[in-house]
Formats: sequence, C-alpha cells, structure tokens
Amino acid sequence: MSCHTTEQEELHIRKDDVKILLMGNPNVGKSVVFSKLTGMEVMSANYTGTTVTYTKGNIQHREKKGIIIDVPGTYSLEATSPAEEVAVEFLKDASADAVICVLDATNLERNLNFALQVKEYGLPTIFALNLMDVAERQGVYIDVQQLEKELNAPVIPTVAIRNVGLRELLQKAWEAAEKQEKELPTLALSEEDRWLEVGRMIKNVQQVEHRHPTFLEKLGDLSLRPFPGLPIAFIVLMMALGVVVGGGKGLRAAIFLPIVNNWIVPFFRMIVGNFVAEGLIYNVLVGEYGIFVKGIEWPFALILPYVLLFYVVLSFLEDSGYLPRLGVLVDSTLRRVGVHGGNIVPFIMGYGCSVPAILGTRAATSFKERIIVSSLVALAVPCAAQTGAFIALLGDHSALVLVLVYLISFIAMLLAGIVLDKVIPGKSEPMLLEIPNLLMPDKDALLKKIWIRTKGFMIEAEVPMMLGVGFAALVAETGALNAVSGYVAPLTTGWLGLPPEATLGLLLGVIRRELAVLPLLELDLTTLQLLVGAVVALFYIPCLAVLGVLIKEFGMKIALTMGVATILLAFLIGGVLNHTVSFVLMLL
Amino acid sequence: MALYQMKKNCKCQIEKLPCNHLLKCLGMREGMTVCVKSRQPLGGPIVIEIGKRSFAIARDVAEEIVVREVN
Repeated sequence: MSCHTTEQEELHIRKDDVKILLMGNPNVGKSVVFSKLTGMEVMSANYTGTTVTYTKGNIQHREKKGIIIDVPGTYSLEATSPAEEVAVEFLKDASADAVICVLDATNLERNLNFALQVKEYGLPTIFALNLMDVAERQGVYIDVQQLEKELNAPVIPTVAIRNVGLRELLQKAWEAAEKQEKELPTLALSEEDRWLEVGRMIKNVQQVEHRHPTFLEKLGDLSLRPFPGLPIAFIVLMMALGVVVGGGKGLRAAIFLPIVNNWIVPFFRMIVGNFVAEGLIYNVLVGEYGIFVKGIEWPFALILPYVLLFYVVLSFLEDSGYLPRLGVLVDSTLRRVGVHGGNIVPFIMGYGCSVPAILGTRAATSFKERIIVSSLVALAVPCAAQTGAFIALLGDHSALVLVLVYLISFIAMLLAGIVLDKVIPGKSEPMLLEIPNLLMPDKDALLKKIWIRTKGFMIEAEVPMMLGVGFAALVAETGALNAVSGYVAPLTTGWLGLPPEATLGLLLGVIRRELAVLPLLELDLTTLQLLVGAVVALFYIPCLAVLGVLIKEFGMKIALTMGVATILLAFLIGGVLNHTVSFVLMLL
Repeated sequence: MALYQMKKNCKCQIEKLPCNHLLKCLGMREGMTVCVKSRQPLGGPIVIEIGKRSFAIARDVAEEIVVREVN
C-alpha cells in the first residue's frame, strides 16, 4: 500500500548467469542506462544520489540470460561512506563477470579518476562515455580511440537517454563477461599519482574549445545568485503552483468529474442494481457514500488531477537540474532548522509523497539530518493527494483558509525544526554539493517518469481508498459511527469544535492522508471548522505507508515516537487554534 | 587568504585543502584554479567553478580552503 515500493525483489541468480555491474560517479546517468538495458522502471533525475540502494535487473542477449546491477554512484572507491562500501563490496565479490563503468563526457577528469580505481579490481571493464551530446554542445571533444588505448579497454560513446550506443555497449559487455578470463589488476596508484596519470590522459584525449555560454548556461548561473536567483525561484514556485492548483481545478471540472459522475458511477450503479436489492449492502456499495461512488469519485475525480500535475512539475524540475540551485539559495534558511540546503530535494519530493522523500534522505546526509527532514516531512508536509483534498475542501469556500493552512504548515516546520535541531544530538554536515548543468528535460524520459509515478498512485491509492470508504459506509449505515463518536466527543466537539461526524476523518486518516480531509467535504462546516479540520488533518499521523517506511528506516522506537508526536501535535494545534479564534471572535 | 573571502568572479589558485574526503572526491586538488561564481547573504554557501563544473561549498568548509588570487 505504499506509494512506492521499497523492497528489493530478490532475483534468482543462477550460477551460469552472466552478472554485470553498472558503476560510475553520481549523476552520470547510470540509472538511465540501467532502465534502458533492462526495460525496468527506475527513477532517475538530474542531480546526485537518486539511486540510494542497488537495483538488480534481468537482461537478455542472444537467448542467454544475465543480470545487471545498478550500483549507487560514488565519487571514489575508498569505502568511506555507506554507498562506497556497497560499491566496493560488489567489486570484491568474485561472482561479477564484468563492469560497465559509465563516464560523464562533460567531466572526464574526475570520471577517469574513478575509472582507474575500478580497473584496480581487475574485472573486465567496458566504459560508456555518456552525455556525449551535452559535451559536444559545451565544446568538449574526446578522442575515443585514444581513450580506449589509454584505458586499455573498450570505450563506447553513448547518449543513454536517447538510446544512442547502448546496443553496442551491451554487446561489448557481454563479450567481455563471457571471455571468463580475469584481467590482471592494474597496479594500485596513490591518490597523488592517480591524479597525475589522469592529467596525462586528459592531455592526450580531450580538447576543449571555448564556446560562448548558451542561454541555459547563463540562466543556470543567474539562478545561483541571490539576485536574480531569488526572483527566479519565486517565479518558478508560482508557475508550479499555477500549474498544479489552477490546472488541477480545470482538469477536475472539465474532464475527471464529468467522466466519473456521468459514466463510471452510473455504470456501477446499473451493475450492482441488477444483483442487489436496495438496502444496507446496496448503500454500502453504490449508495450516496458507497464504495463505488465516493471510492471512485474521491481518488479519481478529486485527487488524481492534482497528483498528476504535481508529478508533471516535480519531474520537470528534477530533470532540469534546477533543484540543487534552489538548495543553494535556501541553505541559510534551512540551516536554521539544522539541515543544509541540499535537503530541499526531499522536502519538495514530500509534497508528492513522503515515502520517496524519506528514502531520499539516505543520500549523503548525517543521521541527525535524516531524522530532522523525515520528521518534518511526516509532520507538516501535505502530500499531493492531501493537497488535492485540501483544494476540494477549501478551494471553493475560502482560498484564504487554504493559504492559511499552508502558512501554518511552514511555521510549524520552522519551529519543529529549530526544536529538533536543539534536541537531537549529533552534527549536521556542511553543504558540499555538485551543481549539475541546467538541461532541457528529455520529453520521453519525462513522460515515462510521470507515468510511473501516476500509475503508482492509481494502483496503490485506489485499494486502501475503497476499503476506507467501504469501512466508512459500513460504520455510517450500521450506526456504529455514532457509538464511536460518542466516546471521542470531548475531543472532536469539545476541544476541536467539530461536528461529531468528523470522527470519521480521524479514523480514516490513519490509512491515508487525504482520507482525513475528504469526509469533512460532506459536513457543511463553518469557516473556522474548516480551518481546524484541515490543520488537524495536516499534522495528523502520516498514513500507514509512511509509518511503515519510518519503521524500516529508523526502527520501531523512533517511528512510533514520530507517530505519537504528530497525533498529539495535531490535536494540540487544532484545539488551540479553535479556542483562540473563537475567543477573538467573541471579543469582536 | 580563505576561499570564502574571495569576491565574485575572482580567479584563484587552491594552495591548501582541509582534510575533507568529499572535497577530494569531487575532484578538488591543490594547485587547481577556481572561480567564485556566486555568493549568498547570511553566511550562505559560495558556488565555485572548476573547469566546467560548479560546486556549492558551505561557509565552514570554504573558510578552511586557502587560496591565492591569480589574474
């Protein structure tokens, strides 16, 4: 039920299967090569650390089966970070038959340093010289034949994202793997000597022609300066909001709602009507709040348009390489909550779904930073589905309340971050981040990524949503809801000032974030009640899938602490808000 | 002089790097020429350019990198 699968499926490896490792520096396009070679759907983006754990995939070549392993990108093989340890482990493991080492043609020097380190392990190695198109645009020319001589290994120029050179790459890798004779490991050089060697090779193979900076390069540089970087960031965020909120409302009204209400729901009503007589079961299935009515209208008509458009925007930003630039601009702000600017990436991912955001914190941050970012995302970052629900609830009624909810979310993150920074022992890492080239995202890669994510939402949100709605319909129809509501009335009606039926949102909110909001739609609330309801839902326990990933990443104790803390904070802030505003209104 | 004190668009040569594994891995070495591309207010990071690559470096780290201005 998680938004994204986190488990590695153990693929069965037969002894005679060819095993190929895919390695390289971060952000050279290993994951793109991997997904093109295996046909598997893996996430890639234009910044470092997208792949935080290794992935295995099957490949086939001339009827023979093999396996390819996407090793997380590392800058060196000195085993000083968890990712490097993983990489070294794989190289030492004798079962690997060959290595495909991906090199970034726009940054050959550092990549060759890595290449020499890989060669020290003596496995048959094939080099993919990737990003050849970008290099050429930058005026970087590389003599591939000379490079093959220098490396004493095949070098295949590739543009992985457009499938250029990949067939040849696989062919060569396969040949090397099947030869079965291990190469002699090259002599291990000291770091100093290795760089000297790299310098010598660069002189022989690379020519750089001075080019006038392109528009994107200029824009990339400008976006790093406070001015005009901050205005650019503001424009980008406003455009993103416009696309998601404005576009979402349009899509919802023009396409999704009519299709669901005029076609899908009547279809289910007709089918169910043929088999079931009017009564309890009929109502649970296709009554006003039935599984096949709200269970379809909510996820598909109210939520999906926003989720889809959010992923359009997120995927575009990721592939353009803009996000690390935003990280530089917000670094001094984020450092106040104890994390460096690079962590803006998991925060922004959290506005889509917290699960990949929390997994994303694995990339190159200290444990303290991981805990802070994960807690803040779990506490106060509404996921795309919940944002859709907020817009459905508040958008037509009061845009001001909608803005207020997000303002409260920001303030809560800032305060909670400052507290966590003080409370949690340990040190935050200083920012040290490579800024990628600003690129125009590739259309096909973008569409594929949006599709993977949206499909994930449709599959993984629909089942819990229908179960939730079914459960809700059942407790409402049988009158069980009134009994439960009676028990928690002091909390809902007394402390939060919500109608007793709001209990339903609190029950369902445990399953998914948006389900804490959607039941409020039907209750005809006052503006204050809308605000309190939305704020409680915002801070409330961050859905089962997130709780699961928190347990997996940080252990039961920390995960439960986060879960309990978010529930308590939700009720505390909601109640205080209710009583303060009521009190002020009374005075006026 | 510390790298962090360099003005924007100034070129300088790295004389001494602090013991920081990641700096070395990113490809920074003593003797390299770098250019400061942007600075942030409030003690934010600086962005430097080495060859065609850009790196954001936190103030704490950039203050420990000793450089000499070249023109």
